[in-house]
Amino acid sequence: MSTNNQNVVIVGGGAAGISAAAQLAELGIKSRIIDEATKLGGVVYRGPLRHTEELPHLDEFYQKSQKSLQDKYHNNKDKIDVQLETSVVGPDGTDGLIISDQQKLENVKYDYLILSTGCHERSIPFPGWTLPGIMMMGGVQLQIKSGLVRPGEKMALCGTGPLLPLIACQLHKGGVEVEGVYEASSFSKLAKEAVALLNKPMLTLNGLSMMSYLKRNNVPFHYGWGIVKAEGKEAVESVTVAPYDKEWKADLSKARKANVDSIGIGYGFVARTQITQLLNLEHEYSYQSSYVPKLDEFHRASKDNVYVAGDTSGILGSDGAAFEGQIAAFDIALRMGVIDASTHSSRVNKARKGLQRVKNFRFGFDRFSERQLGMLDLPDDDTVICRCENIKKSQIDAAFERGVKDITSLKMATRAGLGDCQGKVCSAYCYDRFKQAGHQEKMGQLRARFPIEPITFAMMED
Amino acid sequence: MNKNYDVVIAGGGAVGAACAYFLSREKDLKIALVDFKKPGNASRASAGGLWAIGESVGLGCGVIFFKTLSKQINEAKANGEEAPRMHPHQLPDFFFDFALSSNNMFPALHEELREKHNIDFKFQETGLKFVMYDEHDRAYADQIASGIPHLSDQVNWLDADQLREEEPYVSPEAIGAMNFTCDHQVSPFLLIDSYTEGARQNGVDLYLNTMVTGVETEGNRVVGVRTDKGTLSCNTMINAGGAWSSQICEWATGEKIPVYPVKGQIVLSEKLPKIMRGCISTSDCYIAQKDNGEVLIGSTTEEKGYDTTNTLAELKGLAQGASKCLPILKEMNIKRTWAGLRPGTRDEIPILGPMDGIEGYINANGHFRTGILCSAITGKLIDEIVRGKETTLDLKPFLYDPKRFEDLDPPFYG
Repeated sequence: MSTNNQNVVIVGGGAAGISAAAQLAELGIKSRIIDEATKLGGVVYRGPLRHTEELPHLDEFYQKSQKSLQDKYHNNKDKIDVQLETSVVGPDGTDGLIISDQQKLENVKYDYLILSTGCHERSIPFPGWTLPGIMMMGGVQLQIKSGLVRPGEKMALCGTGPLLPLIACQLHKGGVEVEGVYEASSFSKLAKEAVALLNKPMLTLNGLSMMSYLKRNNVPFHYGWGIVKAEGKEAVESVTVAPYDKEWKADLSKARKANVDSIGIGYGFVARTQITQLLNLEHEYSYQSSYVPKLDEFHRASKDNVYVAGDTSGILGSDGAAFEGQIAAFDIALRMGVIDASTHSSRVNKARKGLQRVKNFRFGFDRFSERQLGMLDLPDDDTVICRCENIKKSQIDAAFERGVKDITSLKMATRAGLGDCQGKVCSAYCYDRFKQAGHQEKMGQLRARFPIEPITFAMMED
Repeated sequence: MNKNYDVVIAGGGAVGAACAYFLSREKDLKIALVDFKKPGNASRASAGGLWAIGESVGLGCGVIFFKTLSKQINEAKANGEEAPRMHPHQLPDFFFDFALSSNNMFPALHEELREKHNIDFKFQETGLKFVMYDEHDRAYADQIASGIPHLSDQVNWLDADQLREEEPYVSPEAIGAMNFTCDHQVSPFLLIDSYTEGARQNGVDLYLNTMVTGVETEGNRVVGVRTDKGTLSCNTMINAGGAWSSQICEWATGEKIPVYPVKGQIVLSEKLPKIMRGCISTSDCYIAQKDNGEVLIGSTTEEKGYDTTNTLAELKGLAQGASKCLPILKEMNIKRTWAGLRPGTRDEIPILGPMDGIEGYINANGHFRTGILCSAITGKLIDEIVRGKETTLDLKPFLYDPKRFEDLDPPFYG
C-alpha cells in the first residue's frame, strides 16, 4: 500500500466524514478530520464511536448499523488524524482553510477536501417558540444520550418524520411523561409510502415496533396534528396543538391546550452550507434542505478537488452519509493512483447500490414529511423571526408589502439574517416566505461570511 | 409588462434611491426605480459615515493609502534614506462644496423622512476624529488643516487628555486627535430603505430584484430601459448603476464612462455597549460604532474587478488597526466581514448630468467613497436637471468629459 504525501482534509466527523476517513485509511491513505465537537460522531448519532455502557435507548438498531463503520474506523485509527474542538471559520485562498481553536487561527492546506458538515434543524417560528423548554429534536436526543438528563418531566413532541416515534420511545424509556406525539402529516399519506418503506424492511419493522411500544405504554400518537403555540411566563408551561389540513394549516377551532414543561420540535433539517458557500461552490435551491452544493456522481463539487458528502448535500441521514463518504473516498483514491479504475468502479457501484436503497426508503419518508407552507401562518405579528436581531414577523410582512422580492433586500430592509448566527435560524423561514409569494426562483441566497463562527479581534493579531 | 414612464432610474442603491425620492416629492412625474442587488453593491458595504471633510481630505477610506505612505516613510527613516514627501490626498474645492452641501441637508432630510414616511435612518451627530499616534500622524494632520483654512471653524484639536476624556477607550498611545465637528453618521441600509419607501409612498413604481439588461434608443435618444421582466419606456433614464454604470452608459450612449469597481473589505464586531462617542479615523482604518452597537471597521481600497472575496491579510490589517486604537476590542468578537465595490473614477469625482449629443439620459454615478454622504445633493441636483431648473451647484465639473480623465495617473491604490 502506498502512503500519501497529499493532504486530505475532512471537515466534519459525523457518519460521512468518519466513513470517508475509514475508507481512505483502509486503502492506505492518511487523512485529517476536523470537527468542532469534543467527540466524533456527528449530532444525531453522537456516541456510536465510543464504547459506552448500556443506555436505555431504543436505538440498538442504529448502533448495530454503525458497527461495521465503527470497526473499520477503530482498525485504521493510525491513519486518521483527528482534530477536535476546532472550527473551520473560512477558506484561505483556493487550497486552504482557516481553522480556529477559540485561541488562535491556523491555516490548513489541502490537496483534497471533503466537506461533511451535516445539517442543522429547521426552525419553525410560532408564538412562544423562543421560550426556554422548547428544544429541537436533535437537542432532546443529545440530552438523553449524553448524560441521561431528562429534558423535562412532561413533554409534547411536535414535528414530522421517523425521528418522532424514536425520540418518543427514548423519552418514555428515560422516564419522561410524553403528553403526546403530534405528526403533522396524515396517516393516509404514510400508507401511500408503504412500498418505499419496504426498501428497508428492518427499519420499517423497527418503526412499527416503536409505534407498538408507544401504544403499549399509552403514549398518544396523533397523525395530522401539529404545533400552534407555546405559552409560559419564564419557560414553557403549556402547548397548544391543533389538527393540520393537508397544507399543514392549523384548524384553530379544534385546538387543544395541555400543560407541559417542555416541547420537542422537529420539522426537518437544513443543510449546513456555510463552508461550501464561502468556497464559492455552485449551489442550487432545494425545498427540503435550503441551498445545497451541486455535485457530480462522485460527490465532487464545482471545484475539482472539493467533495461534499452526507447531509450537507441533501438530507439522507447517517446510513446514506456513510455511503456518500465512501464514494468520495474511492474517487480520491483513484485520483491519487492508489486504486485502479476497475476497482474504483466496482467499489463505487457497490456503495451506490446501498445509497440507492437508503434513498428509496428515505424519499418515501420525505414525501410523507414534506413540509407544507400552511405553517407560515403560525407566527403572529409580534412573533420574533430573527432571534439575533429581534426582528418580528410584522417587520418581515412590512418589507414584503413594500415589494421586497429577494433575500438581500429583505436583509437590508429588516436586518433579518445579519446577526451572530448569520441567518442559520431565520433564513429557512424567509426562503419559505419568498416561495409562498412566488419569488423563489430569483430570491437569491443569504451568503455566509467569514468568520463562520465569531472570532476575537485578538485572534487576528499576527 | 410594457409601461411608460417620465423617468426610469437604473439602480436602487443610495444614489438611485435618493434620485427616486427627490424626483417624487412633487408627485407629478411617473417614475420607476429598477434595482437588483448584485454581489458587492456598494450601498451594502457602506459604513454610513457622513464624513464630508474627512473623505474630502482623504481620511475615512482614504487612510489606507496614507498608511502605505507612512510605512514607506518609517522604512526610509530606518534605512537612513530621505523620506518621501507626504501629501494628504485632498480633493478640489468644488467637491468640498458638493459634499458639505449634501451633509447640511441631512438633519432636515432626517426629520422629513421620519415625519412624512415614518422611517428613521438613525442620523447621529458624532464628529470624525483623526486619532494620531506619532509625529508623522501629526504632520499629516497639520497638512490637512493647512489645506482647508476656510473650514477651520469645523476643525477642533484635542490633546491626549482631551481625547481620553472624550473617548476613554482610545489607546493611551494616542497623542491627540483632530476632530471634524460636522462629520456625522447614518445607518446606510436604513437611509436607502427610507429613500426607497418615501419614493414608494410618493407613487414611484419599484421594480425590485429586477435586472437592467439593456437600453432602447431611437437615434440619439434613450426611449426605454430593458429589464429581465420587460421594457420600461421612458422620456428620461437615470444611470445610477454604481460600479456597473459603465455598462449601462454604453448601452444608452455607445460610450463607456470610466467608472470601475473599487473593492473595500470591511470587518464588523458583535454588538457592544457604547465604546465610542464619535467616529474615528486613524492611519490604519476608520472605525464607527453604529446605532445597534456593532463596530464597523473599514476599509481597503483594491482594484480587483468585480471580485468580492475577503482576504485574511487585509482583514487582519483592519482588525489590528482597530485593536491598536481601541484595545478593548481585542477581547471582543468579530461577527462578519464582507466586501463592497465602490464606483470609482480616476479623479474621485462623481459623474453627474447629461452627456453631449444624447437625449433622455442622465448620469448619477461614480460616487466612489461618498455615495451615502453625497446621495442627498445628488438627488436634489438630478431633480433640478430633469425639471430643467437652474442647479443649486455648478454642474460643470461633474459632467462627463473625456478630458476630465485624460491626464490622470493610473490608480494610486493596488
